[in-house]
Amino acid sequence: MTLLSSVTGRLTAAALSLAVALPAVAQETPQSGGVANVAIQPEPPGLMLPLVQNAPTQRVAGNIFEGLLRYDADLKPMPQLATSWEISDDGLAYTFHLHPDVIWHDGEAFSAADVVFSADVFLRETNPRTRAILDHVASIEAPDDETVVFTLKQPFPAFIQAFEVGTLPIVPKHLYEGTDFYHNPANNHPIGTGPFEFAKWDRGSVIELDKNPDYYEAGKPYLDKIYWHVIPDAASRAAAYENGTLNIMPAGSVENFDIPRLAEMDGSCMTEAGNEYFNPFAMLWLNNREGPTADKRFRQAVMYALDRDFARNVLWNGLGKVPNGPFSSTLAAHDDDLQPYPYDPDKAEELLDEMGYDGEPVRLLPLPYGETWTRWAEAVRQNLEDVGINIETESSDVAGWNQKISDWDYDIAFTYLFQYGDPSLGIARTYVSSNIAKGSPWNNVEGYENPEIDKLFADAAVENDADKRQAMYDQIQQTLHDDVPLAWIMELAQPTIYRCSVHDLITTGIGLNDGFKNAWIEQ
Amino acid sequence: MNFFKRFAQNRGALVGLVILGLVVVLALLAPLLYPDSPWRMVQRPFLAPGEVSGFWLGTDVMGRDVAAGLAHGAWVSLLIGLISTVVALAIGVPLGALAGYFGGKIDDALMRFTEFFQTIPNFALAIVLVAIMEPSTFSIVLAIAIVSWPPVARLVRGEFLSIKHREYVEAARLVGQTHRDIIIKQILPNTLSPVIVLASLMVATAILLESSLSFLGLGDPDTMSWGYMIGAARTVMRQAWWLSVIPGVAILLTVLALNLVGEGLDDALNPQLARAR
Amino acid sequence: MAYVSLILGRVGKAVIVLLAILVFNFFLIHAAPGDPAAVMAGEAGATDQQFLDDLRERFGLDQPLPVQLWRYMSGVLQLDFGYSYRQQMPVLDLILDRLPATLLLTGAAFCISLLFGIIAGTLAAMRAKRPSGSIIMGLALLFYATPLYWVAMMAVLVFSVTLDWLPAYGYSTVGAGYTGLAHAGDVAVHLILPALTLGLFFMAVYTRMTRTSMLSVSQQDFVKTARAKGLAPGVIQRRHILRNALLPIITLAGLQAGQMVGGAVLTETVFAWPGIGRLMYEALMQRDYNLLLGIFFFCALLVILFNMLTDVIYRLADPRIKQGAT
Repeated sequence: MTLLSSVTGRLTAAALSLAVALPAVAQETPQSGGVANVAIQPEPPGLMLPLVQNAPTQRVAGNIFEGLLRYDADLKPMPQLATSWEISDDGLAYTFHLHPDVIWHDGEAFSAADVVFSADVFLRETNPRTRAILDHVASIEAPDDETVVFTLKQPFPAFIQAFEVGTLPIVPKHLYEGTDFYHNPANNHPIGTGPFEFAKWDRGSVIELDKNPDYYEAGKPYLDKIYWHVIPDAASRAAAYENGTLNIMPAGSVENFDIPRLAEMDGSCMTEAGNEYFNPFAMLWLNNREGPTADKRFRQAVMYALDRDFARNVLWNGLGKVPNGPFSSTLAAHDDDLQPYPYDPDKAEELLDEMGYDGEPVRLLPLPYGETWTRWAEAVRQNLEDVGINIETESSDVAGWNQKISDWDYDIAFTYLFQYGDPSLGIARTYVSSNIAKGSPWNNVEGYENPEIDKLFADAAVENDADKRQAMYDQIQQTLHDDVPLAWIMELAQPTIYRCSVHDLITTGIGLNDGFKNAWIEQ
Repeated sequence: MNFFKRFAQNRGALVGLVILGLVVVLALLAPLLYPDSPWRMVQRPFLAPGEVSGFWLGTDVMGRDVAAGLAHGAWVSLLIGLISTVVALAIGVPLGALAGYFGGKIDDALMRFTEFFQTIPNFALAIVLVAIMEPSTFSIVLAIAIVSWPPVARLVRGEFLSIKHREYVEAARLVGQTHRDIIIKQILPNTLSPVIVLASLMVATAILLESSLSFLGLGDPDTMSWGYMIGAARTVMRQAWWLSVIPGVAILLTVLALNLVGEGLDDALNPQLARAR
Repeated sequence: MAYVSLILGRVGKAVIVLLAILVFNFFLIHAAPGDPAAVMAGEAGATDQQFLDDLRERFGLDQPLPVQLWRYMSGVLQLDFGYSYRQQMPVLDLILDRLPATLLLTGAAFCISLLFGIIAGTLAAMRAKRPSGSIIMGLALLFYATPLYWVAMMAVLVFSVTLDWLPAYGYSTVGAGYTGLAHAGDVAVHLILPALTLGLFFMAVYTRMTRTSMLSVSQQDFVKTARAKGLAPGVIQRRHILRNALLPIITLAGLQAGQMVGGAVLTETVFAWPGIGRLMYEALMQRDYNLLLGIFFFCALLVILFNMLTDVIYRLADPRIKQGAT
């Protein structure tokens, strides 16, 4: 992994953003005007992004709020509120130079004090994921109104990945300082710096965002309005796209089975771009503590028994990738030489015989996220039953699922996690023993304990030398691959379907969550 | 005229009986016709009916035999309909009988209790119950029973109120029969006809209710019911209409048949009422 | 005086039933696995113990259950239904926001089903021995036996997607900016499919009921007397039979009007109708206790109100019933 150890000057930054924008733009010049009609499901609970960590909230409010940086498809930083940045050679000081002309939607001027307040006060209190990242930070200071310096306790190379709008959104200090964040009246009319302003929210129907006329990037945004349509039924959403009411369908808006049909319609386009930052990765938790799943041979048998290509081809329309191990293939730290477990039911049966599996019932907990996941659980159950494993499917809604995973009350359970751009941000949490604790479905809930792995993850996170770091990550992948703490089933694709008249919809690795700053509609 | 003659006079009821008979036969023969689990993926997905011989109703999104699902689903749907109705009767009949027989404070209390359940919207309560107990055949049956017993209780109470002052009941009381004996041996048998008619309709309603719950994703994940089949097929309705039409028609026919039979029973059991209910 | 105390008695009983329902549902919903904090943590994609503890403390979920019940009930007695955990808005605001849509939908469906049900049922009764009567009853039976959500899906497929006559979903055209009459017309167009779908089943119910009721009334002595007096058949149908036959239908309709509100979940889901049924389902899935309890309260309240209304109408329609009789 190559890290930009020092990027200075606006020229470099501008060049960077150009390099990303070029392939998507083709020769056409953006036109102003037009309205985006986007499906949103489920309805977000609120739009105060720094307060609510929820996928639909991020998707809508990514237009209202902004982070210091954005990231391209290779996860290289791009300017946003920060026009340039430097990282000291010892990897401890991160200095950001802010855009001078930014104003909040309510007309107040934006300054470095807002950044310090957001990172040091607001997000430390409200956002658990950001809080964990900020644990590496010793101090956050603003030497002047346009400069912010983060000083780390020890080197943490993944830190540069943490400035995206969902992770570190900037909050207006003048509205929130000294208030009860959760009951602040501004939560119902969020004020950000982004290209679009909150206009109106008819609960249960539609969220309206208006163009920010005073946006600091000249000429942008191009769209006049964004309507987010709340339609609870997937088939109704598909129908609304077909009859032209909607022109943008974010990933997850339609069931997988409907994707080819909608994508192949006249004037309909599809892209898989825009999830490079998140790297959603589907897995089966295997309870390492008790029951048959506590036996490594059983867990390996599960890997051999799963027909992962079938799931990919039939349930996911051939989108997504079958992983070769614990790391997503888009990560820089991914080990390409690792051999994936093949689909080999005979081998699975052999392993089960060897361990003396006696037909003890094993519970399977599907993920209650819609039809595809239900079908997937049915396919997995069939695969496992075919090699002689006695499966009992349990069923529950989202709340029940969370509760069971958090309480370790499962044998095999579906889940998917964001791996983010760096193993220390999204992968280590699943395997290190320090993260074994009840109460969260995102911990090391399988109960895998391996001191060697703990040490490797800890060392790699703070290793500033790229080669040494890679060696450690290779070692980690090999060990996990052999131990099978859990089953890796799919690197998920997140296709966005949209009318081809919409251009430059996705220009970063954060996809639609990064806002519609560059999007324009051919009139 | 005897019972069967009166029943047979209603042509609709005969048709209903024939359909219902076919469904029952299908359910009973399912393990023989399709000994494998209906969940097995046996062919290419999305085969249209008749496209490949041996799969005369085609295959579903994952290549499972729709005919096998239909046969096994008949069993599940009928069973859920029947058991939940039996459970509802087991709650409603005693409550209604006690309320109607004893009257007064007991009647008042029991009817308040019944009203209480009738005041909570049925379908909403069923959803909440299944979600809380987590979807399984057991929880679905129980939820359906819990929302469908109040009409039974009201009906039985009404019958008891009208029968308890008849001469033969008074006579039984005079010869010193216990309340229990009077309720069970004297009055209850005479309330059965309307209860049977209501029960046949309740089975139909229960089948519809189960399919609605499945539609919302609250079905038992281990049993292939018709409701499950429609729920699973609705996302592919545009590509493979037959996947939702086939189980839909199966539900329609079964519910229709149960209603027709119910009407026939009504004619046969309550001739003097001439379908007044 | 007797009338007033009767009304007061009914209201008193209703209040007790409502409070009992709240307590019952309170324990019911708290018995469900998971709590709002767990749901939110799950959705956040990342969490730690501090986050969960903060949430539970903020929501008051760290208190023992009886304390929570006490707090909630004492709030309700002051007409304070609390805050929605998830949406951070007063429950009352959320419900009042959604209630009109549901009332419009169920009201329209109710009127359609009642009107057409009674007409069809009357026709079927008058032509009981003719094919046309059988056809009406056959259709009614068909609608009665078809799953509601299935009809909804088919209706969208045919009338919105294929024919493009009616909007597939929603309450009004987003971004059209209609006002006044244009807005009303827009809503009406959106209302057609969901109201018809929801009304179809109940229409079948009323059709069958009207027919049986009319047939049974026509056997009764007073009708025979009227016939013997030589009154015109039309007059007998309208004045004697229909009027009396409607009584059981009023009772049933009253019961169902209240139930419809809670039963509109499926229709509201398929048609993206921003009503209270959908809100209830979402609140349940998100374990938004306060919101769910509030919705149950309002649904039950509506059932009770409709039952009372039914009584009044029943008294007006049936001259035989006098005040005080139950």
